[in-house]
Amino acid sequence: MLTRSFQLVLIAVLFASPGFGQANTRPDFSGVWTTYRAPGGAAGGRGARGGAAQAELPYTAEAKRKTSEYQALVQPTGDTPGGYCLGTGMPGSMLGSGGYPMEIIQRQDQITIIYEAHNEIRRVYFGNRILPVADRLPERNGYSTGRWEGNTLIVETAQLTEIVSQRFAHSDQARIVERYTLTEEAGQKVLTAEMTLTDPAFYSKPVSETKRWSIVPNGFLMTYECNEPIWTKRLEELQKTARPPARGQN
Amino acid sequence: MKTVRIALASIVLLAFGISAAAHHSAANQDFGKRVELEGVIKLWEIANPHGRVVLHVSDAKGMRDIEFETHSRNNVYRAGYRDGMVKAGDKIKISIAPNRDGSDGGYITGFVTAKGEKVGN
Repeated sequence: MLTRSFQLVLIAVLFASPGFGQANTRPDFSGVWTTYRAPGGAAGGRGARGGAAQAELPYTAEAKRKTSEYQALVQPTGDTPGGYCLGTGMPGSMLGSGGYPMEIIQRQDQITIIYEAHNEIRRVYFGNRILPVADRLPERNGYSTGRWEGNTLIVETAQLTEIVSQRFAHSDQARIVERYTLTEEAGQKVLTAEMTLTDPAFYSKPVSETKRWSIVPNGFLMTYECNEPIWTKRLEELQKTARPPARGQN
Repeated sequence: MKTVRIALASIVLLAFGISAAAHHSAANQDFGKRVELEGVIKLWEIANPHGRVVLHVSDAKGMRDIEFETHSRNNVYRAGYRDGMVKAGDKIKISIAPNRDGSDGGYITGFVTAKGEKVGN
């Protein structure tokens, strides 16, 4: 049996805990999302992605050189990382999602974002789950931390590897800030991300893009198995070169 | 349920249309054009990131085998394809984005099986 004073202390501690009482008031981004379409409108129409994307980007000389060299290398064959089962990496993984759906699983201390294409996964950490910078592993989708400003989710991503194979090429010094908001249009949930990429090594000034998604009621993602044909081919190669078993062995 | 179907259909539209370039350079195929072909299936591999199909085709240029590329397994499934729907030796009608250089082949954007089942567009 708890004493009355202990009960009061317990209640006070609970209410003082970070996030207590806020979890239910935060917007819930959970669900499966596809590229935005106006209610009753065609998919992928205006507003799905900001028009600034096709404007010339303010690349530095270094970025121009590296992206030009890359394009010269792959253009003759049309090769892409995706053709070799490699994910796009941020911010392309986020901006390109929706053609293949995106799933968001929201917890108070972590938001997990799954892009179906190439099974790319991002984990957005909050509070005590955030690792010290020195312990973060750089990767194509970087390391993301989250915080709330009212009903807006702010996601900051760093520890990115250099990527020249996407629209927003960037160095390993890039930092990406996404501001996610949830709205409703004619009863349909709409998720908006305003992305700003800052990278002094590749850009003379920050670049921005807006991406919107529509909810897919009861939607689902499929696993994107991509390497199986490569493994099958490898097995076939091994079978061709395998030595027959020695006599007496089965 | 209707909402789900509409949403799913929209994804399929995207899957076979806009996102074609998501992990495939559209440089070699003209996605603004649509060509229809009929042939007999010699090879049918639906996989990620792209499938591979070989048809035996007979047209004004003569009889020959032509290789095509398909969209990803995920998107073809989302568009209605299921394993076992077609097999080698079946006749099939395909829609393709043709190669820009006019050579044989292209990117399959949809097909109609011998049984009349339609996938993609």
